[in-house]
Amino acid sequence: MGIHRRILGLAVAALLAAPGLVHAQSRQVSGTVVRSGSAAPIPEATIAVAGTTSAVRTDAQGKFTITAPQGDIRLSARAIGFTRKDALVPAAKTTVEFILDQDVFKLEEVVVSGQATTVERRNLTTAVGYVSGDELTKVASPTIEGALYGKLAGVNIQSNGGAPGGGVQLQIRGNNTILGSYDPLFVVDGVIYSNSRITNGRGTIDDEATGVEDDPANRLADLNPADIQSIEVLKGASAAAIYGSQAASGVVIVKTIRGLAGAPRVDVSQRVGTFDLLRDYKPNCFSTVADAVKAYGAKAQAYLANNPLACYDHYDQIWGKSRVSYETVADVNGGSETTKYFVSATWKKDNAIEPGTAFARQALRANLDQKIGEKINVSVSTVFNRSVHNRGWGGNCNNFACFGYAEAYIPSYVDLRKQADGSYINPGISAGSAPNSNPLQTAEFAKNEAETNRFTGGATVTWNVHTTAKSSIRAVATAGADIFNQNDALLSPNNLFYETIQSRPGTSIDNNGLSRLINWNGNLAHTLQASGMRFGTTVGIQYSDNRLKTTRITTDNLLPGQGNVDRGTNFVVGEFLNRSRNLAFYAQEDVNLLNDRLTISGGIRSERSSANGDITKYYTFPRASARYTFRDLLGAGSEFKLRAGYGELGNPPNFGNKFTTLGTPQYGGQIGLGNGGVAGDPTIKPERVKEIEGGFDLNLWNGRANLEVSGYRRKTTDLLLSRTPAPSTGFNSQIFNGGIISNRGLEVLVGLTPVQKRNFSWVSQTTFTLHRSRVDSLPVPAFRPPGSGFGGLGVLFIQGPTQDPKFPNDPKKRVYHSLTRIYGPRYKDGISGATEQGDLGDTEPKFRMGFTNGFTYKALNFSVTVDYQQGGTVTNLTQVLRDDGATAVDWNSDAWKKRWITNFGANGVVSDYIESATFIKLREVSINYGLPRKVAQSLGIGAKDIRIGVTGRDLLWSAKYTGLDPEVANFGAQAIRSNVDVTPYPPSRSVFFNIAVGF
Amino acid sequence: MTNTKLSVAMTVAGVLAALGCSNDQFDIQNTNAPTAEAITGNPSKLTNARLAVGVAGGLLAEVGGELATWGAFGREEYNLLGNDPRTTTETIGGPLDPGGVGGGQWNGKYAAIRTVTIYLASIDKAADMTAAEKSASKGYAQTIKAVLLHRLALRNGSLGIPVDVDVGLDQAPAPFLTQANAYAKIVTLLDEARTNLAAGGSTFPFTMPPGYAGFDTPANFLKFNRGYYAKVQIHRATFAGGGAAAYQAAVGALAQSFIDPAGSLRAGVFYAYSSASGEPANPVTEPLSAVRFYIHHSIGTQAQLKADGQKDDRFTSKTATVATRTQNNLTETLKPVIYNTPVTFDPDLDADIPLLKNEELILLRAEARWFTGDKTGALGDLNVIRSRSGGLPVTALTDGSSDASFITELMYNRRYSLLYEQGTSWHDARRFGRKADLPEDRAGDKIFDFMPVPAGECDARGLVVPCTPPTS
Repeated sequence: MGIHRRILGLAVAALLAAPGLVHAQSRQVSGTVVRSGSAAPIPEATIAVAGTTSAVRTDAQGKFTITAPQGDIRLSARAIGFTRKDALVPAAKTTVEFILDQDVFKLEEVVVSGQATTVERRNLTTAVGYVSGDELTKVASPTIEGALYGKLAGVNIQSNGGAPGGGVQLQIRGNNTILGSYDPLFVVDGVIYSNSRITNGRGTIDDEATGVEDDPANRLADLNPADIQSIEVLKGASAAAIYGSQAASGVVIVKTIRGLAGAPRVDVSQRVGTFDLLRDYKPNCFSTVADAVKAYGAKAQAYLANNPLACYDHYDQIWGKSRVSYETVADVNGGSETTKYFVSATWKKDNAIEPGTAFARQALRANLDQKIGEKINVSVSTVFNRSVHNRGWGGNCNNFACFGYAEAYIPSYVDLRKQADGSYINPGISAGSAPNSNPLQTAEFAKNEAETNRFTGGATVTWNVHTTAKSSIRAVATAGADIFNQNDALLSPNNLFYETIQSRPGTSIDNNGLSRLINWNGNLAHTLQASGMRFGTTVGIQYSDNRLKTTRITTDNLLPGQGNVDRGTNFVVGEFLNRSRNLAFYAQEDVNLLNDRLTISGGIRSERSSANGDITKYYTFPRASARYTFRDLLGAGSEFKLRAGYGELGNPPNFGNKFTTLGTPQYGGQIGLGNGGVAGDPTIKPERVKEIEGGFDLNLWNGRANLEVSGYRRKTTDLLLSRTPAPSTGFNSQIFNGGIISNRGLEVLVGLTPVQKRNFSWVSQTTFTLHRSRVDSLPVPAFRPPGSGFGGLGVLFIQGPTQDPKFPNDPKKRVYHSLTRIYGPRYKDGISGATEQGDLGDTEPKFRMGFTNGFTYKALNFSVTVDYQQGGTVTNLTQVLRDDGATAVDWNSDAWKKRWITNFGANGVVSDYIESATFIKLREVSINYGLPRKVAQSLGIGAKDIRIGVTGRDLLWSAKYTGLDPEVANFGAQAIRSNVDVTPYPPSRSVFFNIAVGF
Repeated sequence: MTNTKLSVAMTVAGVLAALGCSNDQFDIQNTNAPTAEAITGNPSKLTNARLAVGVAGGLLAEVGGELATWGAFGREEYNLLGNDPRTTTETIGGPLDPGGVGGGQWNGKYAAIRTVTIYLASIDKAADMTAAEKSASKGYAQTIKAVLLHRLALRNGSLGIPVDVDVGLDQAPAPFLTQANAYAKIVTLLDEARTNLAAGGSTFPFTMPPGYAGFDTPANFLKFNRGYYAKVQIHRATFAGGGAAAYQAAVGALAQSFIDPAGSLRAGVFYAYSSASGEPANPVTEPLSAVRFYIHHSIGTQAQLKADGQKDDRFTSKTATVATRTQNNLTETLKPVIYNTPVTFDPDLDADIPLLKNEELILLRAEARWFTGDKTGALGDLNVIRSRSGGLPVTALTDGSSDASFITELMYNRRYSLLYEQGTSWHDARRFGRKADLPEDRAGDKIFDFMPVPAGECDARGLVVPCTPPTS
């Protein structure tokens, strides 16, 4: 209760501090706001009188009228996408015209600085990543994470494979946990948005570890990129601390498009394109039967006696066909001064390269902003999504059901295609090691489909309780719900070759996930203006209630031709319910001094959670940050900003960590209760991230050049770890808080406009990310984190500091180990001979860079994004499988003998399969052309403008890596990236043609 | 305006009060599985009945491992499968590795004791149980806990064991007690159980698990408690300096047990197994064709002869001769058929393993009687077993025979009567100082005094492996 009282006291104090209305003589000033160049009016621009809270918005014609004090005043005009302009209006003048330039680097965009407060990016005290909606949708991307590649510094994006419709991880500022939740917090229009990965039990069918290896899509896939106005990434603790204990892995704030006042504007865009295999493995062709027999034994002899020694390109047979994909987006946007709306509909289908796999999404969004009277504004956002994933069969399938895994063992002389009589060849008859699995047969008959229906809706009510020229009080409340049901239907019918050899062939799975996230918050914000300074005080409360229930029914021994889960003989059913509730109180003070040169921001958030051992205890997360801007220091219009921040974040314990779960042993026909061996920790508490961040921003030549540099050092303490208690306690493990890991890094963002002419412009943006982690202290023995790879093949290995071998007698000399190192068997001298366990690599890249360049000539726009990663390693287990299956293209060569027979086979050394992950990728290319207005209007369909274009994603890449893609990590859905490549769904490139028509 | 401000402040205050103070909302239980917190926090007769099942099931922990490992230590049987070479190296010749074979037979029993701890903590809190029901439940749980502790004491020998292990994980691990103190605690526990069972009314408040046929009321279960008490006292007499007093206590307890020289020798309490789905199955049964477990050849060569010149019935009925198998210079040809279907010798997953049977009680009484002066009675008991179990003629020993020759004869009968059931030969060799009597098949093979403290136990106590924790 103590915390409430304090915050309540603060709230009341803030309210009472508000001065009464100041009645002064006032006058009216009116004017227009237009864009430079075309002189087109800018609606929805904000006009404010400096030093007061008085502000109005322009109408559809860009006109405004504002009440201002007598005397000389300074008016400022700003609008989304434009740089701000100030104008001095002398006492005698009553009209003014603003001509705004385009804000190329989005420095004027307003981003969140608190639950109910916002700030222009140029005034931020911390580094916040920002991506606008048009950057996301310029080039078609199945899901929004994919569209972020190369565009954000400090954010690591990694996919689990090429399966359509997502399966991508965003990692913000490194690894902050080992066993805790590692996903950033996603907030869409104020509603906490689930990014769950609901596993579907595919492993039961294809014999892989059920869970991360099921390769589920993450539910961010439901979010429609076309609806997004902007994405803000709160990277640092001093920024993310406004979300407290759920923000340890960063916060991603998504804002969707809102309606603008004016005549309704209708946009329709159509994309049509294809996905194609990015890179393949060439077949290992045999020139003589003797060679084939050498590779595959007597079965090959028998098979080739009746079949020709052909050489089929299996990658072409399985993944070589491309099919048409399309996306239709239609939206309407308009409204009056009091009612504004944005309604959009999307119909999309990505037909991916593997037969039978696709991703489809349909979405209908309605956003409404309604003014009620003079003081109240209500913003409502609703969206209904339906997503259908057919992600196919990729990964670590030990029974060869997965296509890549099977292909690695199928001799090149086996034709996988459907034969003339409608049958398929079972590769199992062709070679001793060949599997009973034909991917094209599986593709025709098996099903792995997830359908998700999702509603996300929320409302924000803003009540301007009190407004005077000098102060204002706003009450802002947001409430929302995110509800979805994911249903997975998997069918592996009993005619499939790999099923026929099972004792109970034919498997069907019905998997359901029902997720419900509800959150609301209430805030009071008080602003006090004085000459050259501004004070903002916010107090608030936030509540969230999360619930995820999954149920699964698995059956096998199916009746032929039947797929329902009640048509088998053996049933396995399960149910799991995960719930949590959080309540937070917070207070924030923003002080703006010295005519906007200095901002000091501080906040405190106190939270309780049902996940903690002590549910009554409030955990407090403070933050503080400041910036100082030097204006015109480096030429007129330049800005040099220094900033620094400190913040603390939490990561709640996992559901159930505090409970000692009993076993349910069966004995004598009764289900008993007994010690389950795993002890809960009734004192479990959140992991805590403490971060210090510093940096500077440089803004030159009136926004034409922009440099943002940030460095950070963060420490996570009270890690969730698993320890082994004394066995005499009867327990074999317990999750507890302990240990320290630290992360540090450097982020650079460079924006340049080398050319800005009337007809031609060139805009360039470069991101640079460098990150290092290490284990500072580990109170448990070194261990492999979950999903870390395969024991003998090199795995992630979490180890505390060890004695420096160079100074064996000085206990102060310690060697610190990275969280992401790969550890396993290697040669002591690196080449041959005796072996030892040691470092094999590190999955963390040395650094990563993204380059985006856009060129505009009149109505023609050309844009290209290049993504570059230096360093990092990948464990190429696909190659291990291909070497084992004699499908490696260099089979029987000296290189093959050395890596497979000698190094791996005889000595168990895997260094040859740990490869560099360095790559450079042509991530996005787009060419767009806006047809002349006359042409558009002459079509007679009522079109105002028409844009056409061609876009490509992942068109080209270059890497030393011998596998399909150095970026792919099969077991990516985990806290620490393990970079294991084990026959994932092959990555693809896409090319789309698009046409957008505005009415 | 003041009114507006006030109303906002009141609203905020109201919300804070309504939400901030409600702990119920945040007390979200894990409904996916039963939790110790929920079960012990609010137990009932029904949940306690399920814990009683868990307690009985827990008693089965490591029985198969004890039988095989301790059996090999006492040269009753060898594991010659060869997939794990340690069964013919470390297990027979040492040194026992605290992180390997030597660290076994520990965790499972302590895990089972934790179940007893949870159960004992729940019994008193159950509002819907009568005092008699609570007493009966406690007596049952304490008896089973004593059996588990005794098996641990046998494992650790002179190293001693931690006994007071019902501490939370936030406290230091329970200290090791000396062997003598551990035995004293087990004896006390069995006596407390006796008191509780005596006050336990006529029935247990749960369905008695299998293995306790004939011992399924508090009064009958008490007979098992007394039998086991006698066994612990007799072990204490030899192992832990209990001396004549312990033997005397055993004689008294046996009189209250289910001992019956005229009754079925197999009557008693069993580790019960079942082939039914989900049930624990006999852990050691295997077909004759399996090449894993072999009875030590000395069982054949040292078997005494019956009047007709045939070997001891116990040898004949418990073993079958199969093809010779050699692993690592150990050669055997006898297979155990104790847990196989009679006649066909098919593996029998339902075969129960004796925990305490009438035959053992008679042998225990023979020992206790001999060392408390009733030598005639002792020889009488021995002869009952020789005759009824082995088909052998009466022993040549007399009242005047030496203790040494009595022990030899006693150990012979215990070895054959309890063959491949609980590692009897290893325990006897240690408690009578007769390790040298056990056959040595390869030079350097070793009969161990104890199994070392497991590496995990040393680690958790901050001791270097191998460790000998201080005892108190």
